[in-house]
Amino acid sequence: MPRPLWSGSISFGLVNVPVVMFSAARDLGVRFNQLHGKDGARIETRRFCAEEDKEVPFEEIGRAFDLEDGKTVVVTDDELQEVAPRRTRTIDIEAFADLAAIDPIYFDHPYFLAPIGDSDGTRRAYQLLVEAMDRDEQVAIGRFVMRTKEYLVAIQVRDERLALTTMRWGDEIRSTKGIDTGGKKPAKAQLDQAVALIEALGTEWEPEAWDDRHRARLEDVIERKRKGQTIKAPAQEREEPSPVPDLMAALEKSLAEAGSGKKKAAPRKEKAEARDGELADLSREELYERAQEEDVPGRSSMSKGELIDALEG
Amino acid sequence: MPRSLWNGTITFGVIAVPVKLYTATESKTVRFREVHLADEGKIEHRRFCSKEEKEVPYDEVVKGHEVREGEFVVLEKEEIEAAAGDRAKIIELESFVEATAIDPVFYEKTYYVGAGDAGTDAYRLLHDALGATGRAGLGRFTFHNREYVVAVRPLDGILGLHTMRFADELVPGTDIDFSAPSRKPAEKEIEMARKLVDSLHEEYDPAKRTDSYREAVLEMIERKASGKKPRKAKEKPPEETPDLMAALEASLAGKQ
Repeated sequence: MPRPLWSGSISFGLVNVPVVMFSAARDLGVRFNQLHGKDGARIETRRFCAEEDKEVPFEEIGRAFDLEDGKTVVVTDDELQEVAPRRTRTIDIEAFADLAAIDPIYFDHPYFLAPIGDSDGTRRAYQLLVEAMDRDEQVAIGRFVMRTKEYLVAIQVRDERLALTTMRWGDEIRSTKGIDTGGKKPAKAQLDQAVALIEALGTEWEPEAWDDRHRARLEDVIERKRKGQTIKAPAQEREEPSPVPDLMAALEKSLAEAGSGKKKAAPRKEKAEARDGELADLSREELYERAQEEDVPGRSSMSKGELIDALEG
Repeated sequence: MPRSLWNGTITFGVIAVPVKLYTATESKTVRFREVHLADEGKIEHRRFCSKEEKEVPYDEVVKGHEVREGEFVVLEKEEIEAAAGDRAKIIELESFVEATAIDPVFYEKTYYVGAGDAGTDAYRLLHDALGATGRAGLGRFTFHNREYVVAVRPLDGILGLHTMRFADELVPGTDIDFSAPSRKPAEKEIEMARKLVDSLHEEYDPAKRTDSYREAVLEMIERKASGKKPRKAKEKPPEETPDLMAALEASLAGKQ
């Protein structure tokens, strides 16, 4: 069970449900620590007062806000806590809306809510919220305060649990004004061809098919470094293609390729065995396919050995 | 005119669409800087070597990944870059999926995508065709030496790009474990709760709600600047609902 980040209660009309909150997303990216190159010791960050050139303990640090007229206002955490405009231990549901009416651009971080305590009544009230909301793609809109910040949140049912997502405020979404919206409206024949191309490249949404190649490569680099190998960054070889003068001809060519299966519709998945030193077991044709997937420059004139080197390097 | 963060090319089929990327969201949270309460002196973060008890200049700091408790593998900048792939400025839309099939929980950060200086007809064609099919294009995108999977879809008359979380980065609901109530809520209670949901239904309008906490913090700062005492908000502890049905009935009655 993950660590709870907040506890309080969700308030819906006069119904109160004590809950705890867990993050529904975790960053699995490879983490780095800052180290001192000379001795490999960890780097610590220490806070110093610039006036006195002296280290300052945490409790002596305040928060300063610079006003436009050059004046500075210093506030304490207690003062910030005190202006919280609402109960800080409650998620107040203000309204319900259709999920489809909220553009995903507003969604920020996902969480789960779970009932807390041994009370059967609490679990039943939680279950009641799940049952009442788990239809017609309804979301509850509410607010709550966590660590001296107020959040607007959307609560919906996911995996039979209440799922809370923090949302961006309306004024935190930038205007699209001034961004180039492109050239002229496409002719019907062109649009039809483009629609046909997109449909030809259409697949089901399979999140598991999209692996984190960056994470895998970084883990691989770390493993090789550990074994004392040298690692070089690949050259930036793929040039940006130029826009085509004749869109219609390009659409036809793309459709023909999509139809012949030359362009794979399914996402490319990097094969794990390609990283495990079994490249020598593959034929040149198989190696060439891998090289094509990885866009290895000069692959067509490479021998089997050269392809293995290029794929490993 | 906003400034673009990245210029590159989106491709679908053999069609190249030159594009420019822009920031779509910005945090308006009131930002403070750290000060020493005693003398309002600026707080500086200084790097210290934990072994030598000595300040370390930035060029002596390296990045290490902890492979085992206390064992680090140090990577040079170039070696970290090696993991970014070929870093080509191309987003190849490899497949197209029903936009509504993607749970927004996968979307992490959003960017606006505008047309580039050339090939602007191709940009409009991609935009309109995505709109007509209701599909989003999926591809890989390297930005600041990090490779992302992204979804491209029409958004407010232009194209929007979302960087996406990977499937294993989402916590499954089954990881959140709690026991079921001894008896389920009664049909009548569910019906009442649904009535309450319906009575609170609204057309969602993001402009309708503002960050009242941000406003209160700014007001407090102003009051302090002019030498007044900050106002305090009151807090009332929430309590558990003893009688669900009675609370539902009272909530509904309060709405009418």
